[in-house]
Amino acid sequence: MSLLERYPNAPGAWLGELPITSRYTAGLAGERFLRAIKDDGKIMGSRCDRCGITYVPARQFCERCLDELDEWLDVGTKGEVYTFTLLFENLDGTAREEPEVVAFIRLGDGGLVHKLDEIHLDDLDIGMLVEAVFKPETERQGSILDIAYFRPTSP
Amino acid sequence: MGMRKVAVVGAGMTKFMRRAQETGKELSWQAARMALASCEMTLDDIQAVCLGTAPDAFDSIHLKGEYLSDGAGAWGKPYMRSYVGGGTGVFAPIQGWYHVASGLFDAVLVVCEEKMSSFYPHAQGAFLTIFDHTTERPLKPNLLWIFAMEMNRYMQTYGISKEDIAHVAVKNKRNAADHPCALLGNPDITVEDVLNSELLAWPVNRLDVSPVSDGAVALVMVAEHVAKRVTDKPVWIQGVGWSLDTAYWTNRDLAYPRYVEYAARMAYEMAGIKEPRKEINIVEPYDPFDYKECHHLEGLLLADRGQAPQLAIDGVSLRDGDMPVCPSGGLLGVGNPIAAAGLMKVAEIFWQLRGEAGARQVPGQPKRGLAQAWGDLMQVGTVVIMGTNP
Ligand SMILES: [Zn+2]
Repeated sequence: MSLLERYPNAPGAWLGELPITSRYTAGLAGERFLRAIKDDGKIMGSRCDRCGITYVPARQFCERCLDELDEWLDVGTKGEVYTFTLLFENLDGTAREEPEVVAFIRLGDGGLVHKLDEIHLDDLDIGMLVEAVFKPETERQGSILDIAYFRPTSP
Repeated sequence: MGMRKVAVVGAGMTKFMRRAQETGKELSWQAARMALASCEMTLDDIQAVCLGTAPDAFDSIHLKGEYLSDGAGAWGKPYMRSYVGGGTGVFAPIQGWYHVASGLFDAVLVVCEEKMSSFYPHAQGAFLTIFDHTTERPLKPNLLWIFAMEMNRYMQTYGISKEDIAHVAVKNKRNAADHPCALLGNPDITVEDVLNSELLAWPVNRLDVSPVSDGAVALVMVAEHVAKRVTDKPVWIQGVGWSLDTAYWTNRDLAYPRYVEYAARMAYEMAGIKEPRKEINIVEPYDPFDYKECHHLEGLLLADRGQAPQLAIDGVSLRDGDMPVCPSGGLLGVGNPIAAAGLMKVAEIFWQLRGEAGARQVPGQPKRGLAQAWGDLMQVGTVVIMGTNP
């Protein structure tokens, strides 16, 4: 079934739109987190010793005790696949020739949701170790997509 | 009524800025942390969290309440976002009040946040989307021209001039010069400056309107036994009220906000107030436009109809007048990050009644104050009355 299946008995429509354009700030922590990816190819976490949690992506404060987090650490670029899915259809309902793989990669006590690539679908498994592949430095824009994707790796 | 007494014991506030680097989460966290620190409490002492924030469109995050929850300190706690548009900042503490008054919780954190600079190119654009999609939106209404029509009707009904109303903007922007978090404080502004500022939609000039802003405010609200443990200066919630008029702009009295009167009467009855003009010492009515302060003072029964501008002209509503109005500097002077601006008014009454308002302190040790906000589709009134006695 297509995601855009039509209802044949629908009443007549008045067309309108909710035009929204936004310009976000990355925030105090977000600015520093994204700069570390862009400038250094590093993924940073921040640590709350009181609660024993390493937040990834790094945050400005601990959500459990509201302490300010000034202990930042490089959590490396390798993490385990915590879960994944395979996307067989595009948003407009058309079929993909090859499924896209998206995964939640565990880093510190958090992690990133990102794409997996350079992978044989038969090898895909929860618990497998993957590593970040960064775009060339000249193409990075301070975006989470400066990490092009994650790919399988060994310890 | 079988309700428990509820006190405000702590408050915190970020600077109100035109565009903050902080995310909405980070602004919420700063205010929450300041409020807890101000009464030497920690998040462990808080049993539930109430969040107030206006349309999702401003921060440009849908389910904004959930998005802001970590900054508000809601992790692992009962949490709910309340939302009545511009009235939210005075409704969120009402939600905090009934959480505690009901006996359900002994200590709650109330956080209000707005980051209006995300909406591009201007937050007014968000208001294109709140009107009826078939009868109104094709005309591309925004709040500036909708309120210009309300101001015009108010002026016409009572024979009020733009100059009369400009005194309110002058008073509030001068007051805000003493607020450390203010965006538009100006001790030297004059009526001529207001009248000569850029004309936006007649009769509204730029200085008749509050600025779009980013900011957050938080309060700690507790039951009586907790209040006695943490402070010797609790400020008590004496009355709350809220009321809604019709959603149809065209079926409302634009010269008189009846819904504000209904909300005020509910709060006065709860507080046992018979003669509000004699029994309320400080007022923080909602002032996104200068004429709205007047509108609201009349709806609150604190001025005769059509007579509110005279309070500013005669100096009655100045900080050292008989009935100080917006001693904080209001939305016109401090800024208008919608929900945060409303809660700022409640925080101002808290600081004033404790004698902690610094350069803004009104003389004479005020005993009772009222904060009010207005919003939804321009038809909700929300009122909180606070006092030094329970
Ligand atoms: Zn912590």
